[in-house]
Amino acid sequence: MSTLHPDEASARRLAGLATGELPTYPVAPGTGDGSLVDDPAVRAPLVLNNRSFHDITEIVCGYAEKPPGRWWLPTFMLAFTIAQLGGLFIGYLVITGIGTWGMNNAVDWAWDITNFVFWIGIGHAGTLISAILCLLKQKWRTAVNRSAEAMTIFAVICAATFPGIHIGRQWMAWFLFPIPNANAIWPNFKSPLLWDVFAVSTYGTVSALFWYMGMIPDFATLRDRADLRLRRNPEGPRVLPFLPLRTDAVRAYVYGFLALGWRFSSRHWVRYEKAYLILAGISTPLVLSVHSIVSFDFATSVMPGWHTTIFPPYFVAGAIFGGFAMVLLLLIPARELFPNMKDLITLRHIENMAKILLATGMMVGFAYGMEFFIAWYSANQYEAYLFAHVRAQGPYAWAYWTMIFCNVVSPQVFWMRWARQSVPVVFIVSFLVTIGMWFERFVIIVTSLHRAFLPGEWHMFWPTAVDIGIFVGSCGVFLTLFLLFLRFLPVFAMAEVKAVLPQASPHHHGNGHGNDHGKAGH
Amino acid sequence: MSKADQCPSTVHEGPKHKPSKNELARERRSLLSAVSGKVAWRSGDEIADTPQFRDFLEREFPAGITEMFTGSRRTFMKVMGASVALAGAATLPGCRRPDHKILAYSATPPEDIIPGKPLFYATSLPLPRGGVEGVLVETHEGRPTKIEGNPLHPINRGKSSVLAQASVLSLYDPDRLKTPVYFNRQRNAGAGERMMATWDDFVKWGKGHFPKFDKSQGAGLAIIVDKKSSPTRDAIKASLLKKWPKATWVAYDSTESVHAASGSKAAFGAPMYELIDFSKAKVVLSLDRNFLDTSSEPRGLVHARDFASTRRVEDPTSADMSRLYVIESDLSLTGGQADHRLRAAPSKVVALACELAKFMLPKLGAGADAVVAALPSATISDSERKFIEECAKDLMDGAKKGATIVVAGEHLPAGVHAAVHAINQALATTLVKFAPMSDELASDSRAAMATLTADLKAGKYDTVICVGTNPAYDAPDAKAFADAFAKLEGSIALSVGQSETAAIATWALNGTHYLESWGDALAVDGTISPIQPMIAPLYAAIDESGRPTGQAPMSDLELLAFIGGDLRTDGTPKDGYELVRAAWKSKLGAKTDADFDKAWKRALHDGLVAGTTATGATPKVNIASVAAAAKDVKIDAAPAGQLEAIVRAGWMHDGRYANITWLQELPQFGTSVTWDNPALLSPKTAADLGLLPASATLEEPNTMYTKEKYPAGRIAEFEFSGRKVKCACWILPGVADGVVILTPGYGRTNGGLASDEVGFDIGALRGDAGCVLSSVKVTATPDYYPIASTQNHWSLEGRTAIVRAVDLPAYKKFAGDPIPDNDEIYAGITAGTLSFAEKLGELSHTPPNVSSYDNPYNRSAADLNPNDPNYNKIPARGHKLNSKTAQPPNFAIGPQWGMTIDLSTCTGCGACTIACQAENNIPVVGKKEVAKGREMHWIRVDRYFAGDYYNYKDSAAINYNEPEYIFHQPVACVHCENAPCEVVCPVNATVHGNEGHNYMVYNRCIGTRYCANNCPYKVRRYNFFEYGLHKFNGDYVGKDLIESIAPDRGGISGSGKHNKINPNLIPPRLREKLDEIETMQKNPDVTVRMRGVMEKCSYCIQRTNAAKVETRLQDLNYVPDGFVQSACQQACPSDSIIFGDILDATNEYKDTGGTRKGSRVHAARLSRRSYLLLGYLNTRPRTSHLLKVSNPNPALVTNEHRRAAWDHPFHDGGSHGGGDGHGGGKEGNKEHAFFDERRKREDKGYALSLGVLSSAAGLSAVPAIGGGLA
Repeated sequence: MSTLHPDEASARRLAGLATGELPTYPVAPGTGDGSLVDDPAVRAPLVLNNRSFHDITEIVCGYAEKPPGRWWLPTFMLAFTIAQLGGLFIGYLVITGIGTWGMNNAVDWAWDITNFVFWIGIGHAGTLISAILCLLKQKWRTAVNRSAEAMTIFAVICAATFPGIHIGRQWMAWFLFPIPNANAIWPNFKSPLLWDVFAVSTYGTVSALFWYMGMIPDFATLRDRADLRLRRNPEGPRVLPFLPLRTDAVRAYVYGFLALGWRFSSRHWVRYEKAYLILAGISTPLVLSVHSIVSFDFATSVMPGWHTTIFPPYFVAGAIFGGFAMVLLLLIPARELFPNMKDLITLRHIENMAKILLATGMMVGFAYGMEFFIAWYSANQYEAYLFAHVRAQGPYAWAYWTMIFCNVVSPQVFWMRWARQSVPVVFIVSFLVTIGMWFERFVIIVTSLHRAFLPGEWHMFWPTAVDIGIFVGSCGVFLTLFLLFLRFLPVFAMAEVKAVLPQASPHHHGNGHGNDHGKAGH
Repeated sequence: MSKADQCPSTVHEGPKHKPSKNELARERRSLLSAVSGKVAWRSGDEIADTPQFRDFLEREFPAGITEMFTGSRRTFMKVMGASVALAGAATLPGCRRPDHKILAYSATPPEDIIPGKPLFYATSLPLPRGGVEGVLVETHEGRPTKIEGNPLHPINRGKSSVLAQASVLSLYDPDRLKTPVYFNRQRNAGAGERMMATWDDFVKWGKGHFPKFDKSQGAGLAIIVDKKSSPTRDAIKASLLKKWPKATWVAYDSTESVHAASGSKAAFGAPMYELIDFSKAKVVLSLDRNFLDTSSEPRGLVHARDFASTRRVEDPTSADMSRLYVIESDLSLTGGQADHRLRAAPSKVVALACELAKFMLPKLGAGADAVVAALPSATISDSERKFIEECAKDLMDGAKKGATIVVAGEHLPAGVHAAVHAINQALATTLVKFAPMSDELASDSRAAMATLTADLKAGKYDTVICVGTNPAYDAPDAKAFADAFAKLEGSIALSVGQSETAAIATWALNGTHYLESWGDALAVDGTISPIQPMIAPLYAAIDESGRPTGQAPMSDLELLAFIGGDLRTDGTPKDGYELVRAAWKSKLGAKTDADFDKAWKRALHDGLVAGTTATGATPKVNIASVAAAAKDVKIDAAPAGQLEAIVRAGWMHDGRYANITWLQELPQFGTSVTWDNPALLSPKTAADLGLLPASATLEEPNTMYTKEKYPAGRIAEFEFSGRKVKCACWILPGVADGVVILTPGYGRTNGGLASDEVGFDIGALRGDAGCVLSSVKVTATPDYYPIASTQNHWSLEGRTAIVRAVDLPAYKKFAGDPIPDNDEIYAGITAGTLSFAEKLGELSHTPPNVSSYDNPYNRSAADLNPNDPNYNKIPARGHKLNSKTAQPPNFAIGPQWGMTIDLSTCTGCGACTIACQAENNIPVVGKKEVAKGREMHWIRVDRYFAGDYYNYKDSAAINYNEPEYIFHQPVACVHCENAPCEVVCPVNATVHGNEGHNYMVYNRCIGTRYCANNCPYKVRRYNFFEYGLHKFNGDYVGKDLIESIAPDRGGISGSGKHNKINPNLIPPRLREKLDEIETMQKNPDVTVRMRGVMEKCSYCIQRTNAAKVETRLQDLNYVPDGFVQSACQQACPSDSIIFGDILDATNEYKDTGGTRKGSRVHAARLSRRSYLLLGYLNTRPRTSHLLKVSNPNPALVTNEHRRAAWDHPFHDGGSHGGGDGHGGGKEGNKEHAFFDERRKREDKGYALSLGVLSSAAGLSAVPAIGGGLA
């Protein structure tokens, strides 16, 4: 088998002549796993190991159908426990009062809004990958878009928790919505916090739609596979030993419900494609708007350190930066832990994302520098003091310099090719960037507030166990949801991945150089 | 009263005659006819004392009964007052509000009372150590809620002190003694048992006990009363001592220092009070006398008022103001007002006083050589000599003759006081007159108490009665006293609150609060001031049907009269009403009973006996006896390595006010520390002794707040005369080196929940010494103790625009620029029409705010004014919500409320903070919450230390050990017209009113706290917990459990002696709910805010609205100036806060100084001294601050920067570049600024916009600004 030319092997498998594991064949030296082709004349493969269409189906559906590795359950239990502890802390907070957090009358927002902005930022990479890269026809997005979108949804869920619980009278949160009432009192449409409500809910809704719609064909595949198995073997495994309920029956029912009657008809595909494009078009401005609006919370205020016109682009860049770091942070371990995932998420993907990290990290670094410049150039005593004395030298200087190191210094290693292509390095930098982006929000919020205009009211902020517990809990919620996603949902958009296979190209000549016309359905 | 009484549980059903409505009305009419003038106070009726009236009164204010079951000894208590239905005290188990239907006031409520409207009654607050404050008490349906100053009273003139404001809370102190407690020595197998008793029991016991002294002529009986001045008590004392001449009577106050009295005795032959009139003062030298303090000076309110009047300057051409020199060891609020302040240890103050006398007396030719010769000579440094010599020259300045005065602190030796009297006489000062002081007040009661303790120990007494005193806590040898007292069969303690003495007495008697009792007091100037009850005693006994029964709790007068056997003919004890009237018979000079009744009613109505105010005499100083006293003056400097200590009473006084949580949480002057009494040291002394707080450094004390989660003071052991005490240490810039300031009244063990274990009891260190301990040895311990303060930053960080201050020479020179006042509303705050004070700050450097769109909120000088023909096109106010005509507020139509705060006169006393707290139901949050930065005070007093020269922007240049300036700046919500908080609130919970209020709608608030974040003034206060409904202090959930698990932990420092769980440190969520009794203090006109809601200053909108209703009823179309006062304004002793209608420019008002046009606040906002805090943000605050002007003596200003600033106040006027021009404004100088490195640094680029401003706004009178550039 090892003598078989890869194209030939594919051809045979396409013809159904060959099954089973593929032969390994030597990759070209210097191309990592084979995806890091550095020849402009050669299009690097987006799926490795010459996977057939069927392989893709098997791999992706396998994640949802086969029992996961032994690591999954303990990890899930841990994440779920943390999530529940977070829930207990939230319960305690609601019962007892916001005073269980460490805020005071000078620093009225701290970890709550830091976490909110942090999670909203995380959510940005998902939509960027799904929407903007889709419109820009970046094929490599197919490997990561589904999981990035899932991550977006989960991050928005985590983010949405915080504005809900950070208010003093949580049971009155409905005042935030424009509900017609007898008192004729509307929310204050001038308040950026209200804009947040609209922006985040719009973003969450559109992201969820986008994500869900993309999964419909894959749900249908899962449905059909379960149905087939059930027909072949009605005595299949049960959900639980004592329940007369077959696992596949449940799958067929649930996936069938979610698949909304998808029949893989061409009409379906045509409409699907159109809808997908429309949603991509709708989502694209949202990528820019949501974090711009979140930044208005600060930018429209009068506080030194907040009152900054640079915030909207700076926040968007930061959000993309932090979001990509989080995608990497999730997918690098997943790639290691799930069988065959390395074939779908190649070093090329990782390198691409590392490049984005480098670019957005530079943008963020520019913004940091620009804040200082404007503080000086504005000749505003309070503003200048804040940057020169508070951020860079004040009691929270350690947070500021942590942020600078993580967000500005650490991505600089990606100027070096080997670093971009080294999975451990990328993972470490992603981790640092995630930390750095959390600190960015902390620095903006807490350092600006703790030393505002009147020195008489300056006060420090110290987090409490409840602050920390709820943040860690939100990480637990995020991880729990992501693990459930990995376990039960189609982690890749199968049709899209198949579409970027060389075989999908009608001009496919078997060596992967083929033109790029190929689309699924051709 | 109708038959449907307001509370059926109080209805009498017994055989007693119930007066009909007609009867009562007839009674009332007959009474009223006797009263001339208005019938405002309840007292008018009470003089009748008819059975009908008593019946009415009892139902109105039932007196009560204690029901005692012999078996269970459960006592049923009942709280009453007119609000009996509300109150229904749950102070004891089994006591709940009556389970009956209750009704509101019926169709015919009592004549005086309009439900929902408060009534004001005059009464008097007796001050410890003599003196009185005349107060008006606001009562809601018979329930006192707020204290105001009595406008008629010569001490108060409508103002009030911190203590007066706080005193209402002590009435509702849930820890008050509630029944007499008898220590039955027979029970419990001879070990004794404390059992609840009734006043009837005590009366019975007393009638058996006291007559035995008839035989011994009082030998064996000691009565320890507190030092206060009361004619009635003097009369009772006289008759008692006449009956029992051998009885011991001690009027005791542990904080006293009788040197001032002795000094005046030496000078004039009799102890005298000084009646100083600061209103005409030109030069004042204070030798460690905190004469502006309203809590320690009986005439502090007068001083603050008068002195402030000499500090206000307006017209620069005729501007003149007094000059204050202070030599002090502490940093007092008087020191904070000083133009020149010299730090000196107590012994050095004496030395300087001696040198001053030696310098001045010969020059004045007063024939006082004997005094000069008798005074000890002292060595003082050259700079100190220069200080006192320049000061002396200023005092002796011929142009100021008669208007200069030296005042001495009461702890200075008597000889110094006598010498100061001699100096003042030699200065021919007209500022001081003298009024006689009673011997009782002048007596050295600490010595008397020491003797008494020794005699008690020796068994010479079998009955000791402590009336309002607590010697078991504060006697010179408290332990010895307590040991002996506890063994005594006849130990009796009458106390309002819990006390250490009451806890060990055979009879612990629950006395009545001054708001519950009849009495009287003498002001320092001799004004007789009546004390009348606002409410019947809260903790009197009632029977099961709620009927008052038995003997009511006694006041001090009643008890003393009872002990002395002054009984009614039927053998029952007399009540205060009878006693006071009896004592006053001779005082009022009334010939007939009718005259007396008339005068009595007048006195109760006015709150004083007219015509008793003494103007004082000017007795001649007896030089010979002054010299004799001067011989005794000793200069006891502490030996090397030891400190001199001053014991200085604070708001807790001797500890009697320690359970008043408002006082505990009121930030203390200088330190802003709450809930503690750390020993205060200068930073240098602390550093030398290794006593700096954790993480603090000498250069940068703020690090203790930035590096420590809970700032902690080092605990040190203080040793004096072999007595040792441990106390936490804290630093206070401006305290003299080598001095430690100790505050008594803390660390109580049996004072109630708010005072027990709070702070440190330093009484044991002091022993029988006076207020100055000459050599205290200090040893640092490794332990720390958490200290909670409300302000964590000390310096202005060069933000000179926040607190603006200039010296008088600069003011005179530059403030004369005309202020174009073409805009009434904004008083010329837009660029180009800057007032002097505005030119000093950031506004002058900011280009005009030009809005690119028509912001309706942004009305300014360019907008229409009422005289404009287009004016009518502006939609009128009073629009309908949600209609198309809805318009934003139009700030050109009055009334538009505003406020000014005068930084020149504000002393930082804190009365505004506590008055606001009382008025607006502001909760107390406890020590831990304060440490977290969550105090709730709506108005705070920021204090800043500034060094070198205040305009010198380099904060590192501040010498924290010796700051040149101490600023205080009261800040409350400034009610911005362009409020940053309003736009950001997502739910419209904070919105703007038509009259300029920034409303806070509690119901609508969901607590996002965005408004607080966006508030540049940081005046918004958030209810992080249910502060308003939970005990600030006290028991908490799980207390037993925690203490059983961790008996030695729980303090937030985690170390040291104070490891026991301090209730202050328990989060409010774990605390018990407020006792119902505490809720009775709440002002019913103001909402009690729940958890999760933002709150802030409302400009006392409830008062404004009430005033508007009132003026509407009077058919007035405006609210007259002064008719409505904010609570802070009303209390402010120095009248630094003015509130009113800023548009009121035309209405005429009669003032003491004649007729004036327009409101005071209107004038103040047009003042040259008015500036808007952070005005450059275009927030358009409705509260403006008035520039602080100081008046330094040029001969003493050595600081080059400060001197130069007289010519260049607009920048720091440093020695660079500015030396040449007064005229300034020379074009060529502009570059100069940029060549000057230092100026460049200070400008931080502002000079750029300056050019924009001066050309665009066409500031022709730019000498100011130009000069600054030079």
